[in-house]
Amino acid sequence: MDLTELGDRVARVAEEHATRTDRDAVFPAEALAELRATRLLGLLVPVEHGGLGGTTEDVVDLGIRLGRADMSVAMIFTMHCQQVAAVVRHAAEPLRSQLLGRLGQGQEYLASVTTEAGKGGHLLSAEAALHGDGSRLHVDRFAPIVTGGAHADGFLITMRSPDAESPNEVSLVYAHRDQLDVSGSGDWQPMGMRASHSIPLKLVGSVPAHQVIGQHGKFPEISTTIFAPMAHLGWSATWLGTAAGALSRVLRLLRGPEGRKRFDVGSELLLTRLSRARQRLDGVHALLRRATDTVRDALDLSVPNHQLLLNALKITAAEQCHAAVQDLIDAVGLRHGYLKDSPTRLEQALRDLRSASLNYSNDRLHLADGRLALLDPEVRLV
Amino acid sequence: MDPRFTELLAPFLKFGKDKQITPESNLRALGLDSMRSIELLFAIEDTYGISLPDDEMTDATFATAGSLWHAITAQLPDETGART
Repeated sequence: MDLTELGDRVARVAEEHATRTDRDAVFPAEALAELRATRLLGLLVPVEHGGLGGTTEDVVDLGIRLGRADMSVAMIFTMHCQQVAAVVRHAAEPLRSQLLGRLGQGQEYLASVTTEAGKGGHLLSAEAALHGDGSRLHVDRFAPIVTGGAHADGFLITMRSPDAESPNEVSLVYAHRDQLDVSGSGDWQPMGMRASHSIPLKLVGSVPAHQVIGQHGKFPEISTTIFAPMAHLGWSATWLGTAAGALSRVLRLLRGPEGRKRFDVGSELLLTRLSRARQRLDGVHALLRRATDTVRDALDLSVPNHQLLLNALKITAAEQCHAAVQDLIDAVGLRHGYLKDSPTRLEQALRDLRSASLNYSNDRLHLADGRLALLDPEVRLV
Repeated sequence: MDPRFTELLAPFLKFGKDKQITPESNLRALGLDSMRSIELLFAIEDTYGISLPDDEMTDATFATAGSLWHAITAQLPDETGART
């Protein structure tokens, strides 16, 4: 079965439950079950480990497809793929075969535990430290935001390396839910992305020493080569899909019998607004494809012009996808732009997309980009 | 490595106090973040009167004291700085 069909299956389930999961701010359990059943959870797992052997481009395609149906489901999927990519590239035996086997069967949904109180989302430092006694690593970690944490089968957790001399020595460790005492705290009542169920979690337990992903202290490298690029590509695909789905529903409304009665499709204002929304999405799409190719082909993603391209993708997608939905709300007005029960679902798309510039803050990325720009005085465009 | 270089490096490594800087010293672990990398770059260029090429602006160049020193010596006119 081809990936488009599998994506359509998950999208149908996501769409069926989207109104309820948004209203109740609950995790899309049915869509996750379909991601398991289709084995899309093992998309990036190599065929020899029982996975679908997919590529980064496939993650992007499916992120867009699922985003058209439900932004939270798309985000949950692409973030899981980011975790799987790190396992595929860096996990060592015996963890590698065990975990990839389960992932390939769709038995393992991985959540990311990188946030920590007091470090402002700074990925490359960690306060809570792993303690090792030779054969085991002890985990005691609080994270303020863990997307899907209540439903995850396993976690990839950043922590300060054992015996680290500074908070900048960070390791990535895998823990299965059964190896941890997982306790939640606090309520989840956000403006949008309500089905992402991104809750605070406390994780306590111990794992065999071989469950470190890559070597101790190697997280910065995993971040530059996998976590950051996969996050930017996955999020941007998710946002683009959300805005594309919104535009598509608006266009179907305008072309349908009710729409043709209600709207004047000869209106220059309406046409211009539709044009602007479409223009924004084509711009983001081109940037997304270019960045996907760069991640596939680049020998060293740490060079400033590659970093700048990836950051520009994230910033641009966050701004333009949100702006496109704003355009559409103005285009169709109160009834179909502002009411929850409109088939355009613009109201939810706008709330969901409002998170895009905050999710790994655009403000902070601009500061990084300013510094990176100074390191590329020749301005070598990718 | 040139003692002038290790002296220049020290203030940029907030977790490197009282530690001997060797070619293997991991600069990121010792506290060199991206903001400080820019300031360090300017300090190096002022001190040695050189300009590091754009191609050297990678994580690998800034990984250890030794890798950074290697990038500097490659730009020194007659490689006066001993590499050890």
